[in-house]
Amino acid sequence: MRWMVELSCYLAVAQMWNLLAGYGGLVSVGQQAFIGIAGYALFILSIRFGINPFVGVALAVIAPALVAVPTYALLHRLDGPYFAIGTWVIAESFRLLTTNMDFVNGGAGLTLRAMTQFSAQERAIGMTSWSAALILITVGGSYWLLRSRYGLALAAMRDNAIAAESQGVNVKRLRFLIYVAAAAGTGLAGAVYYMAQLRISPVAAYSPKWASVCIFIVMVGGIGSIEGVLIGALIYFASDRLFGEYGTTYLIVLGIITLLVAIFARGGVWGVVSRYVGVSIFSTRRIFARGDA
Amino acid sequence: MQWLDALIQGILLGGMYAQYALGMTLMFGVMRIVNIAHGDLMILLALVGISGSAMFGVGPFLVIVLLIPIGALLGWALQKGILNRVIGGDELPSLIATFGLSVALQNLMQQIWSADSRSLPGGGLESASVNVAGVYIGVLPLLVLATAVGLTGGLDAMLRFSPFGRALRAASVDSEAAAITGVNPRAVYATATAAAVAILGIAAVFQSLRATVSPADGPAQLIYAFEAVIIGGMGSVWGSFLGAIVLGIAQAIGFRADPGWGILMGHLVFLLVLAGRPQGLMSRNR
Repeated sequence: MRWMVELSCYLAVAQMWNLLAGYGGLVSVGQQAFIGIAGYALFILSIRFGINPFVGVALAVIAPALVAVPTYALLHRLDGPYFAIGTWVIAESFRLLTTNMDFVNGGAGLTLRAMTQFSAQERAIGMTSWSAALILITVGGSYWLLRSRYGLALAAMRDNAIAAESQGVNVKRLRFLIYVAAAAGTGLAGAVYYMAQLRISPVAAYSPKWASVCIFIVMVGGIGSIEGVLIGALIYFASDRLFGEYGTTYLIVLGIITLLVAIFARGGVWGVVSRYVGVSIFSTRRIFARGDA
Repeated sequence: MQWLDALIQGILLGGMYAQYALGMTLMFGVMRIVNIAHGDLMILLALVGISGSAMFGVGPFLVIVLLIPIGALLGWALQKGILNRVIGGDELPSLIATFGLSVALQNLMQQIWSADSRSLPGGGLESASVNVAGVYIGVLPLLVLATAVGLTGGLDAMLRFSPFGRALRAASVDSEAAAITGVNPRAVYATATAAAVAILGIAAVFQSLRATVSPADGPAQLIYAFEAVIIGGMGSVWGSFLGAIVLGIAQAIGFRADPGWGILMGHLVFLLVLAGRPQGLMSRNR
């Protein structure tokens, strides 16, 4: 059950990053802010207000969405690559803020004791349902979004933001909406993840490790496509299981692979596959981009 | 008195941040690249310096002399090997490439040097201080600040008056037009990155003299450099110096109020500047 929750969280977080970076052109290295905020919201709802955690997950998503609004208002003033580091500063600020708050037990973190009231079977059912819902909402939601009226605008923005703007796409508004949606989706993944972990601490929840997970999965799998994220998540998950025990060496290799993909194969694995396997797979990818607009 | 002391310590701390920020201003101003491995490169140079000093028994000033060419070489290799392949138009590839480099470097350093904190022995320099009207001021922090002023002035003068500075400004405004007039943008970029990382070599020695360094420290240094650049105003050399001083003061006063709030106070000042004066304190345009 644990691996299922993990895989679905990685998939969700990566897909949200893909939406941001791949379509919105907003490169973030600070999505862990929303993981931490939603995770903590869930724990506070349960511990302070006695709300059933399985219900709390749905409510916890509101917090990152609300935080995303002023955050974006500040960050969108930063130019290009500075935006990315700005998101990191935000995440660090929330980490330090959480560490300094006695209300959430500071740096020591919180435990979700309310989960003990459920039997193992009830927990399994709850976690499975939420993992499924998480995928449905983030991946399914993105698919639906890309097929909708906005899909065409998003695809146009991905290919060339300035040209899209000149064709009447409201790039500013669309970017804002994507940022908030991605914050909520990432937050949902964070809430589900820490509900399964039963423990949350500022260092883990606001860890830049989440940013590297997103970046590795999306870049290696293939940016700007849903298939790429699926492939990337499976590659990351499998290599984490197989080579995770090698610790630093494994991370060095992950870092170098990310670097090489950025230099030599910007489309990632899916980019290479769709180029060589041919038109049939490529055209399925294009179907949703064509949409019904 | 306590707050005056915090103010002075803040200005001195700002001198350290100014040294980190210079390289970032240079690289962003010229290439519109933000090197996410900026802090990690500084830590790498610091660790090389500490090991080199222990191995050959040389003092901190000789270490600086050794680290400057090593830094320049690293910067040049970084530009030739990686950055020149990812610059232009889209910012995503350069961000992702340097992010990957940062993850790889951090873990590589952890493997070589383990996660321990180290520092460079300064032979008494690190604890020497002078008493100015009742406030003790460290000799080393003063030296750091003086070096920062010298480097900032030197870089500013170089950008304004030297032929290389002209080529650099031309390449940053319009690399194609600069190429037509006989400037080779890629060579200019390589020199700029080499200079940026060489400055980090100086910063690395001071950082390891006045505090400890460990392989995981890089991202924090990157963030301070970045905040200094934004507070001061993008692309302005003296602006990033001013930004570093403001950041240092904010952190020192925050620390004095509550040790847990020092760094957070720096972040808050950065966010305030972003909200109130997004072009930075010293930027002229807009």
